Parts: sequence; C-alpha cells; structure tokens
Amino acid sequence: MKRFNRIFTVAVFIFLYAPILLLVAASFSSGTSLSNFEGFTLSRYSELFSDKNMLGLLLNSLIVALISSVVASVFGTVSCFGIRRLGRRAQKTVMTVTNIPMTNPEIVTGISLALLFVFIGQMLKLKDVMGFWTLLIAHITFNLPYVILSVMPKLNQLDRHVGEAALDLGCTPIKAFFKVTLPEILPGIISGGLMAFTMSLDDFVISYFVYGPAFTTLPVEIYTYTKKPLPPKLYALFTVLFLAILLVMIVMNIVQARDDNRSRRNKNAKGEITLTRI
Amino acid sequence: MEKELIRLADIAMQFDGEEVLRSINLTVRDKEFVTLLGPSGCGKTTTLRIIGGFETPTSGEVYFDGECITNLPPYKRKVNTIFQRYALFPHLNVFENVAFGLRIQKLPEEEIRSRVLEMLALVNLKGYERRSTDALSGGQQQRVAIARALVCRPRLLLLDEPLGALDLRLRKDMQAELKRIQQQLGITFVYVTHDQEEALAMSDTVVVMDKGRIQQIGTPEDIYNEPQNAFVADFIGESNIIDGIMHEDRLVEFCGRKFACLDGGFEKRENVDVVIRPEDIDIIPYQNGHIKGTVTSVTFKGVHYEFIIDVDGFKWMVQSTDYRELGSEVAFIIEPDAIHIMKKSEYSGMFGDYSTYSEAYDRDIREFDGEEPQEEKQYEAEE
Repeated sequence: MKRFNRIFTVAVFIFLYAPILLLVAASFSSGTSLSNFEGFTLSRYSELFSDKNMLGLLLNSLIVALISSVVASVFGTVSCFGIRRLGRRAQKTVMTVTNIPMTNPEIVTGISLALLFVFIGQMLKLKDVMGFWTLLIAHITFNLPYVILSVMPKLNQLDRHVGEAALDLGCTPIKAFFKVTLPEILPGIISGGLMAFTMSLDDFVISYFVYGPAFTTLPVEIYTYTKKPLPPKLYALFTVLFLAILLVMIVMNIVQARDDNRSRRNKNAKGEITLTRI
Repeated sequence: MEKELIRLADIAMQFDGEEVLRSINLTVRDKEFVTLLGPSGCGKTTTLRIIGGFETPTSGEVYFDGECITNLPPYKRKVNTIFQRYALFPHLNVFENVAFGLRIQKLPEEEIRSRVLEMLALVNLKGYERRSTDALSGGQQQRVAIARALVCRPRLLLLDEPLGALDLRLRKDMQAELKRIQQQLGITFVYVTHDQEEALAMSDTVVVMDKGRIQQIGTPEDIYNEPQNAFVADFIGESNIIDGIMHEDRLVEFCGRKFACLDGGFEKRENVDVVIRPEDIDIIPYQNGHIKGTVTSVTFKGVHYEFIIDVDGFKWMVQSTDYRELGSEVAFIIEPDAIHIMKKSEYSGMFGDYSTYSEAYDRDIREFDGEEPQEEKQYEAEE
C-alpha cells in the first residue's frame, strides 16, 4: 500500500510537471518543432530578448500587474479595517460578498466589466474607452478579493489592545498604525499582494474583454499567436515566465512559513500558561 | 493625606442607549492604590478606559491633577495602562517593547538604554533583553508589560485585570510584586479586578461596583466589616443576611429574638438587613443557644469546617473548628460585635441565604467571571 501511494504521488507529479519540463526542454532545442530535438541552443532566448515587440508586451504585463497589485494591496488593506469595524453579522456578509468574484466565472466578470466600461464610455461620450485604464481597473477589481482574503485573518489575529497600547505609550493614531499595526499585518499584505501580482500577470480571460488596441498585455497577444504556428522563441518566453512565477511563489511561501513559525511559537507560549493553570 | 490626582465627576456612559455607567464620582489621591472591584459587566473596565482616554464618557468630567482631561486623547495623558492579556508588540523583542514609549519621546539612545535596563531589573527580567516576547511565559510577558508601562514614569498606572491569565501561585507572587513596585516607585495605581481577595490584599481603597454604579468606597477593612448593602456584603466574603427590625439604637430583632448590637442611627422599628459573617458565629451546646437548627451540610476546609445550618427554613453558613455531625441539632450564639446592620437596598433579599448554595456552582461563577462579555459589548458599541 505504501509503495502504491509513493508510485501514485510520483505519477501525479509527472502529470503536473511533464508539460512544463517539455516546454523548458523545447526552449533549449535547436529543432523547429518539439518532435525533433536536434541540439542545445540558447538562440531562442537571444531571439526573444532582441524582439522589441515581445519585450514591450512583457513590460506592459509587468506594469499592469505591478500597479494593480500595489493598488489592490492598499485598497484591500484599508477596506479590511473598515470590514473589521462592522458588526459580526455584517462582517460575515461582506466577506462572502467579497469572495464571490473569486469563484465567479472569469468570463462573466470580463463581460460585465466590458459592459460597464462601454456604458460609462457612452455616458462620458468617450471614443475608444478600452485601453490601459480599463485594463488596470479590471485587474484591480479582480485582485482585491485576494488581498482582503489574505489580510483579514492577520487583522483578526491582532489583539485589539495592541493598537491601544501604542496610543497609551504616546503614539498618535497614525504613528501607532505604522509602528505597530502595519508590521503585524505586513506578512498578510505581502502574500496577498504577491498572489494578486501573479493573478494579474497571467490573466487572459478578463483582460481579453477590456483591453484596447493601444495597450495589450502578453497573454492577450499570445492568444493571437496560437492560431498560427507558434514561433519557438515563445517557448523561451514561457520558460522565463514560469521561472518568474516560481520565484514569486517561493518568496510568498517563505514569508508565510516565517509568519506561521512565529504564530506557532506564540501559541506554544500561551499553551504553557494553560498547562500550568491546570 | 496626599492630594487629589484623579477625579471623576458625575460620569455617565451609554453604549447604544444602554446605561453602562451611572453617576460615577470618584477621587483618587496621589500614591494611592485604588481597586475597582465588581462582577463582570459592572462597568469597572469602562471606568478604567475612561481614565485612560480610550472612551469618552457620555456626560461628566475627568480631572487629572486639577485639570480637565475629559477630551484629551490617550497619547497626551500622563497615564499608562497594563492591558488584559498584556498586548505586547509581537514584532519587537523584550528590550524594544520596553523602549517603545521612550523612542516615541525621542530620548537619547543612552538614556533609553539605561532606563530600559533599570526597569527590566526592577521586574526581575535581567538578561531577557534580546528574547522574543512570544518565547516568554505568561508571568514573564506580564512583567514586560509592567516594565513597558512604568518606564515612561507615569504618575498614574492603570491595570486591567493584569493577573487574570496567570495561575494561582504566580498570581499571589505577582500581587506581592506589584505592591512592592507601587510602594518603591510611589506611583498611583488604579487596578481593576473581579477577585475580591486580590482587592482586599493589595489596595489602600476598594471601590465596589455593580450595575454601572459605585456601591461602596472604603478601605478593605471598612468594606469587609461595614458593608453598605447586601450586594457588597455578599460579594466580599461570605455573609448571612437576615431580615431584621431595629427597635432602638443598639437593639435589633431577628429570628424572633432581640439581640444587642453596636450599630445605631436608624428610625424606630426600621426594617433592616442584618449581616453576620460565618466565622463570627459560635456553635455551643444545644440547650444554651440563641438560635437552634439542624446541620444539613458539612465541608472540611482545612482551617475550619463549613456548616450549612437550617434554622426554620433559612440556611445559615457557619464556620467553626469544632466538628458537628451531619443531621445533628446545634445551637449558636451571636455576640453584639458580630452583628452588622445595613439599611434596606435594592439588593435586599437577593443574597445571604444559603438555601440554594452549591459550592461548585459558586466557584464556577467566580472563575469564569471574566470581563469578556462586557468587553464585546463595548467594542460593538464603539464601532
């Protein structure tokens, strides 16, 4: 049984990662298609990095991902404070409502956002509403729940008296926030922000409905390629993207692991008290 | 007598139309150790938070050193607080936690260092500077909280059930230590607790509160020996509270008999509550007693036995070192100095009969009598 489990686990990993490994391999192949691996080459990468157009698109994606995740982190954190000030029942309702967009089919979110933008565009009599701003707003919108979902538990963990203790020791409310509250919830904000960043970087469905010809992101552009034979330099691009996301995920895990460690130690210290009490 | 430091003048507090405090008048003198004592929901924590500046009273004024500070925010008050469950800053180590207030004041690094180390020595935490606060035990965290508040050299220290989360032995040690620190530094303490023993043991003045009102203010001896009403008599220690009639000064009738007592100043034939502490009753041979009854319960308490004695349906608690058998007929006498007479109050008839007394129940109530429910209410109201 044990052996079976092990084999099964390995099978799952092969299933999950074989396609990506194949992609990485292909990015180093000098052959024109995946079937004929002729030799090792880095030319795909040099091709990629000399393709101004492609790099521009990557830059666009990064810009949108960065701005939208930072803005979502700020808005999300601020709204967490608001949500926390609500009564218990209102808080639960708001949290449920906030989480719906995450499970909502992306295509529905995309179309509804597009409708909204067009509607507003008509009201303001704007031509070509779709562009950088609509894309950015859309990305902020779908990023927000991830930030809130990750900050809210941290904020709930925080002893309400900790902020008061800072006031008590002479901090103005703003100082108390930056000196005490923020450091405590920062791990939540960082992991929420990173999650939002990766979500935004690879979003295709929603972006597809709200982008304009003037500003395109990489995933949207790549979609147009898939109808033609795929140029091999894209393999190199995907590999780079995969590694970038991997890096972000590793950072996120480290942040979370550190934080978990600390709260576990905290719990242990409290456990001691209850033990001695008995 | 030292001069007045804090004065609460006619404070009232409402949360969502619910009265939490009513006409609170309280003066705390410099260097005094004042304890606010009462069951959960009595308003003691709210009173403390008003002094600390975390709540603004609905009406009434707070004076500090003669100056009105009712609307002054907490960070401008020369008051520091020790919170329930410590509220240490988890991202800072012990040294930085204690140094926090001094860093906010932007004192020179050298002074900060020496003052923090001095404070850590005072609370017996030398050598713990670099520890993370969550690696400390409950008692140690408590000491850090004390050091963090005291390092700012407040004139007044507020303590909100600071020993509530500690086990019994540690609590006793910390009581002694807090008292030592208070006397050594000459700081005024306002201390909130629901533990009457703690209040009696530590305080110069005890303020007994219930239902948002002050029931009695006095020295621990006053509160115990001369309770003002049935609530105070019952909350502080054990009491038998019997209906009586005051015939004239120093003569009271209860249980169908007249007794000599030491109290006076009542109307003729005024109805009163008579308090008799269980340890002040002497059990004597059956024939000679003033009051006769049957033992319905015996509990061995170590120093003494605790008897519940049924006298015509009213159950008395009596403590005595002599053993009596369950079911035996006994009698007791009550000396004049064991009798304390109180005016009738809204609490009359609610306490002092041990008919429904169950020890386990009583203990449970006392133990789980945290401030939790009231606190929740406060926050909801706040938001």
